[in-house]
Amino acid sequence: MLQNYLITGLRALSRNRAFALINILGLAIGMAACILLLLFVRYEMSYDQWLPGHDRAFQVQTFNNDPENGRNDAMQMSAYAVGRALKKDFPEVEKVAYVGQGRPVVLQNGVATTAPVLMADPDFIDIVQLPLVLGDRSTAMKDPFSLLLTESEAARRFPGVNPIGKTLSMVRNGKTIDYHVTGILKDLPKNTHLAVTMLVPYSMSAVGQPEAFYTRFGWNGGYNYLRLRPGVSFADLAPRMAAWEKRNIAPQNFGGAMVSEGDNVDWKLTPLADIHLGKADGAALVPTNDPKAIATFALVALLILAMACINITNLSTARAGQRAREVALRKVMGASRRQLIVQFLGESLVVAVLAMLVALAIVELSLPLLSKFLNADLSMQYLGAQGVLLPVIALVLGVGVLAGLYPAFVLSRFDPAPVLKSNRSGSDTQGSGRLRSLLVVAQFAVSIALTICTAVVAAQTFYARSADAGYNRDGLLQVTGIGRKQITPVADSLVDAVARVPGVIGVGRTTIGVNTDSKINTTVRISGNPRPIELGNYNVDTGFFGAMGLSPIAGRLFDRANPRDDGRVSLAEQPGEAEQLAFAARGMNIVLNVEAVRKLGFGTPAQAIGKTISLAAVDEKYGLVPATVIGVVPDVRLRSFRDPYEPIMYIYDRSYLSEMIVRMKAGEAGGVRDRVQAVWQRYAPQVPFEAQFADDIVRAQYDADEARATTFAAFAGLAIVVACLGLYGLASFTAERRTREIGIRKVLGARDRDIVRLLVWQFSRPVLIANIIAWPVAWWLMRDWLNGFSARIDLGPQWFIGAGAMAALIAAATIIGHALKVARSSPALALRYE
Amino acid sequence: MLTLSALRKAYRTETVETTALDAIDLQIDAGEFVAIMGPSGCGKSTLLNIIGLLDRPSAGSYTLEGREVSRLTEGALTDIRKRRIGFIFQNFNLIDELTVRENVELALLYHGISASERRTRVDRVLDKVGIAHRAGHRPSQLSGGQQQRVAVARAVVAEPPLILADEPTGNLDTAHGEEVMRMLRSLNEEGATIVMVTHSPAHADYAGRVVNMLDGRVLLETRRAA
Repeated sequence: MLQNYLITGLRALSRNRAFALINILGLAIGMAACILLLLFVRYEMSYDQWLPGHDRAFQVQTFNNDPENGRNDAMQMSAYAVGRALKKDFPEVEKVAYVGQGRPVVLQNGVATTAPVLMADPDFIDIVQLPLVLGDRSTAMKDPFSLLLTESEAARRFPGVNPIGKTLSMVRNGKTIDYHVTGILKDLPKNTHLAVTMLVPYSMSAVGQPEAFYTRFGWNGGYNYLRLRPGVSFADLAPRMAAWEKRNIAPQNFGGAMVSEGDNVDWKLTPLADIHLGKADGAALVPTNDPKAIATFALVALLILAMACINITNLSTARAGQRAREVALRKVMGASRRQLIVQFLGESLVVAVLAMLVALAIVELSLPLLSKFLNADLSMQYLGAQGVLLPVIALVLGVGVLAGLYPAFVLSRFDPAPVLKSNRSGSDTQGSGRLRSLLVVAQFAVSIALTICTAVVAAQTFYARSADAGYNRDGLLQVTGIGRKQITPVADSLVDAVARVPGVIGVGRTTIGVNTDSKINTTVRISGNPRPIELGNYNVDTGFFGAMGLSPIAGRLFDRANPRDDGRVSLAEQPGEAEQLAFAARGMNIVLNVEAVRKLGFGTPAQAIGKTISLAAVDEKYGLVPATVIGVVPDVRLRSFRDPYEPIMYIYDRSYLSEMIVRMKAGEAGGVRDRVQAVWQRYAPQVPFEAQFADDIVRAQYDADEARATTFAAFAGLAIVVACLGLYGLASFTAERRTREIGIRKVLGARDRDIVRLLVWQFSRPVLIANIIAWPVAWWLMRDWLNGFSARIDLGPQWFIGAGAMAALIAAATIIGHALKVARSSPALALRYE
Repeated sequence: MLTLSALRKAYRTETVETTALDAIDLQIDAGEFVAIMGPSGCGKSTLLNIIGLLDRPSAGSYTLEGREVSRLTEGALTDIRKRRIGFIFQNFNLIDELTVRENVELALLYHGISASERRTRVDRVLDKVGIAHRAGHRPSQLSGGQQQRVAVARAVVAEPPLILADEPTGNLDTAHGEEVMRMLRSLNEEGATIVMVTHSPAHADYAGRVVNMLDGRVLLETRRAA
């Protein structure tokens, strides 16, 4: 019996090759797209789950929620003091480790390079159990000068020798420290929130932060990891956190207002495996992903698969007439309805199996490409815990049954007598035709909505890359490392020398720069407002605005000759009491951007000039320092277009400046860069020259966005292909079914183009109706998505009309071949008696 | 009206060539009513299809209203067909999805006639064949005789000078068959040229000339005195 079903199934397929091809190919594309996307989704959800003991390990994350300032964000960093206080107050916390990141100069064989290095408390490798290839986990970080390298880093630095015991020097806080390799870490896979190539024990003296860095709760410069004791749920700690904050963070007098670093801030323990898709995306070692984006990918996967299933259902019912006679004869021979349903389900299962084989081949071929493109470690195994064999079998069964169920019921319903007598199917009931139209409308609604979304996402990505950020990126070079201790003595003369390089128009230094990690906020007070206000607080020198090409909207910029412009408390590293008192008495001048003027409520930029705010530029006990606004500059977008404009207070303070901005003559940038490099190497041979053009920085900033947008576009394209395959099949069957009608029309004088128009219109109509469904859905989705960007494109009608027109054109092109063929056929043939 | 000379039609498949029509010479004058008779497979329908420009001869010449049509383009044939020729089929060939009125209107649809004009003409012809009361029904809701009346209405609504009927009574009972034949005779009396394929000697009697065919050839022509 089963063999008979299989034979009829395969023969039914081979009898109509085009039908079989559309069904199998369409379903294969659908399945392959689904598997690829779900592999990606699974990969995104697999972050850090491979770490042993990850379920007891947590990162302490900082959540800001300030309804008054409209601030609601979170970051992975937390203050040093937070981790220590948690360990002290909660017996459930077994271990805590602080991790700082840096990019020190590394000296090896006399060559200076910079490299990312994590500094961590020794317990770190016990909490986050990074796999060790060589060395002992319990002792590897005990020595303060021990060094752990990843396998590939070790192979690169010490090729061909046993790296254990080898020495590597790093310049920390101006001092050279020798580290000895004590362990080798396995190379980390890509699905981790950590980026580690070198790991050394944390040392306060090597970091060189002031004491306040270790006592304040609002100074975020690193990461806290902790491990809970076995059997403790982190949910148990959450309700006690508010009281813990109160107990640990004392309110301070801030110019008369009592404020606490715990105001509007919550600290939460986030399990390691939840970091990658968590809310805290600020200060991440590895960029996080938006769970909504992942959910969207999963949704698209299922939609494409559903569309392929619709094709099978549609084509099977459409050609039901062809098989009416077979069904009738089987019934006459005594087949029960149940047997017929089983038979037709069996056929769709055969299609599903064949499609899956093709799909797996497609996946095997395209997975490495997709993996590379998305910068992910995507892989597929068939067996084992992560094996896809069982899901694949489930998918085949599910798809086979789902796609075959309705046709099976329709086909098995025929009454044999009229079918056999009339030779006409009588099967193509009004109902199944309407269902087909409905399903085609659904397919195209999905395709059109995906197309709109793709177009909007692509346009926004392009816009973010190319739109006016408020400053000219042409010939703008950003050189990092000017803030290193080794350079400090020569920094001013280095900058002056760079300014004299032919082709250089302007040079300036800053702590903000183009898309740097540096984010420094400070709270200020204005008289008459009891609440402190948070502003971005960035140091610049007098060359910065000129190099950026920013002119004041109101007032003036910093002037070296004006002593009050200088926001540096003292030339000494640790200003004394007298200097701090004098500075507080003297006051300082600041430059604001437009957003800061708005946030402070100063009215227009011109009205802001001369206004005074108070800030904690010296130790609190000497009082707040009055700062007078001397100028207002335009807002510029130095970070992502997702972020709103930052309210910024610029201070002329040369005590710490991390980036050097060099403006070059347009068209000469390459040669000028080399000359700037030569100057740098002459003044600071011990620090590598690390420079990037602003254009490249901004481009790289949106690489991941663009890769995702392109992937999305590719899969939206596949969805359209699947929908069109279905339409193609339907058109061919309908054309066949309507041959007689078209013959009559031709006999009565219809020309070829009348027939083509008739058929094209018949199939374009569902596509047009699909627009009505797709447009509002796409509008709603994209409005929501675009709202995540501070600077965004208009959601104008062009996207909707364009996508709709494209779908209609593609649909028309798909069926015009059939229409022409039918239109050109001889009417005499069509009317030959049935 | 039309002249066929040395007309030949052969169908070719991969292995066999079948001659459907062989050396047909036939002239039909305007205003004639011609019946074509013969056993199944003798080529009657093929001949009618060629006369109706639905099919092309393999060889020979076909002059319709003084114009050689055997080598015209498909577009030109379509144009002649819709202006000069009306068709009536044995199995009616009405479109199930359209109403009676729409089926008849179809014959005017491709003529560039305004909607109101079409409506007037369709109403007039439906009245004439006595089916006006069923104008809004679907073909499947009508009896065979009523369906054929609709088909006749469709054939004549564009007022073609030549009407071709392929066994128009083949699917009808005697009473309905007679009714259709009377309708054809009155059309002929109004001036239309009619060529009809039939199996029924009784219905052939309505024609002024009977052409008997066998194996693709004209066997015998019988003219009746008017």
